[in-house]
Amino acid sequence: MVRLLGALILGGAACTAHAEIAVVLNSQDASVSVINKSSYAELRRIPVGKEPHHLMRTPEGSELIVASSAGNELLFLDASTGDVKRRLPNISDPYQIGFSPNRKWFVVNALRLNRVDIYAADGFRLVKRIPLRSTPSHMAFNRASTHVFVTLQESDELAAIDLARAEIDWRMPVGRQPAGIWMTPDDKHLLIGVMGRGHVEVVDWRARRSVKQLETAQGAHNFQTLGDRRHVLVSNRAANSISVIDQETLTVVDTFPVPGGPDDMEVTADGRELWVTNRWARSVSVVDLATHKVVRKISVGRSPHGIFFVNAARE
Amino acid sequence: MSRLGDAVGLAQTWLFEAAVQPALYWLDLASLSDLAYESLEWLIWGALEIAVLYAILRPLEAHFPAERWRDRRLVGTDVLYTFLHRLGIVPLAFFFLLTPVVDWTEGTLRLAGFRPFNLEEALPWVATSPLAAFLLYLVVLDLSDYWRHRLQHRFEWWWSLHALHHSQRKMSFWTDNRNHLLDDMIGSLWFAGIALAIGVPPGQFLLIVIATRMLESFSHANVRIRFGSIGERLLVSPHYHRRHHAIGFGHEGPSRGCNFAVLLPVWDVIFRTADFTRRFDPTGIRDQLAGARYGERFLEQQWLGLRRLACALRPRQSAGSQSTSAA
Repeated sequence: MVRLLGALILGGAACTAHAEIAVVLNSQDASVSVINKSSYAELRRIPVGKEPHHLMRTPEGSELIVASSAGNELLFLDASTGDVKRRLPNISDPYQIGFSPNRKWFVVNALRLNRVDIYAADGFRLVKRIPLRSTPSHMAFNRASTHVFVTLQESDELAAIDLARAEIDWRMPVGRQPAGIWMTPDDKHLLIGVMGRGHVEVVDWRARRSVKQLETAQGAHNFQTLGDRRHVLVSNRAANSISVIDQETLTVVDTFPVPGGPDDMEVTADGRELWVTNRWARSVSVVDLATHKVVRKISVGRSPHGIFFVNAARE
Repeated sequence: MSRLGDAVGLAQTWLFEAAVQPALYWLDLASLSDLAYESLEWLIWGALEIAVLYAILRPLEAHFPAERWRDRRLVGTDVLYTFLHRLGIVPLAFFFLLTPVVDWTEGTLRLAGFRPFNLEEALPWVATSPLAAFLLYLVVLDLSDYWRHRLQHRFEWWWSLHALHHSQRKMSFWTDNRNHLLDDMIGSLWFAGIALAIGVPPGQFLLIVIATRMLESFSHANVRIRFGSIGERLLVSPHYHRRHHAIGFGHEGPSRGCNFAVLLPVWDVIFRTADFTRRFDPTGIRDQLAGARYGERFLEQQWLGLRRLACALRPRQSAGSQSTSAA
């Protein structure tokens, strides 16, 4: 009995030591929830800077960068444990962040301050501050890393910035309150969640024109790949649903309900589970992708926004 | 507190999804979703505050009053002020008016290379200890509120607005929010400006405001409560704050008043404005005894406040109530 108990304790400790984590940003609580991906339990809540909205992995992969927009800093977390390893101050209003595919540029959308800052990714040296009205929110890059495309939520536009020149190349209207933006795997089209109208605008970025509108549901917001290089998910934040888009045919192939204002998403590498932050419900929903049913709800902090885990579907 | 917080969260989600979000999309204002969702929590907490304050303080005022009144007729207007404030209508209006100014200023300063001071950077332990951070921010904001209050009594033009708050002859727990809207706006700018300057996190800000508001309502209550010799020096009591509102004491003398502290009397002790006299005096402003009018209804009070302000800003005119009360 004692031996069994000992084995259980040791086994449990081993499980805890190797538990994979999910990291969720509680944007209105200035904290990060670290969740055990296997037990679905919140392990701890780490105070970070104010208004953490988005996060991403460093190009080499060992760290997570959490953008604390009102805290004006980047926090570097251990991608495996969630521990804060270092802070990089003086990055003003980092709402959304991104590395160009060639790892040369690090781009910061300063939503509140109406600006896009271009940094040299090596050393985070500021190259240029580009005033860009109004409310630059999300971003996507083309494969060659010549451009970053930014949605302007309040001026209803898409802006293309030439990275080498660090200048605005062009801008075009794309519909009311554009939010999330996604480059299709063939590098041809940009998908834009038109939050104010409830559809996804398909833009041929080389021709600089809209080619299609995909009706999803009210509050079309952000994107996440399913990992099969064909399908991408879009969260419909007001309709409380998630739509599946076929990127080859550019059609909506499915829509299923997820309550609580679904926002950012992650899909497990095996394609079985979808994790969604519920912006209006202080929780994360876990969806079984075989049945499209919410199978778990994990309580986190106020206004959960960004979410990340290491072994996730990426392309 | 956690269960209460969870319940507030559920109510917030339900109200937002059932009523607020559909209205925002209908009005083509979806981009205000975050702000509306956040504001809803303030509204719910404000409603809870009013319910709790009424449930506790109303019976106390009935059974242990500092002053016995024949009726509560003049209290009604203060109730309206409280609802307008605690249910977020006035703060929200201020937010929409002030946010563009604050954002523009911050954006311009940052482009010019300036960065605001951040308490969490100066004291890194603040960022890792929520309780320590809460207490530190509370103390700093309370100190700033003490000086705001001193200046409200010091400057003629500011007193012309603030006098409305002191003109209540039937001071009760509803009186805390009885303020001229312009005075409120300046006060909100002051409080939010300091909070921004020292970098108070949003979650902490909510707690600080709720704690401050509850204690302020309590300190205005018409109840015969003292905290004892030591307690009176630790936390502002109804007895201590009544002295600040007392006719002939609260708005006069070299500092144009006494007991300015909002939460912590230590500021009055340090800056020599404390008065621990053991009395429960009638409240109001001296010139009211000679017939000066501050109005009984909301709009009348606001209008008379503006007129007093105009007088105070007119160089050769007498400055109204302050000159009388501060005699």
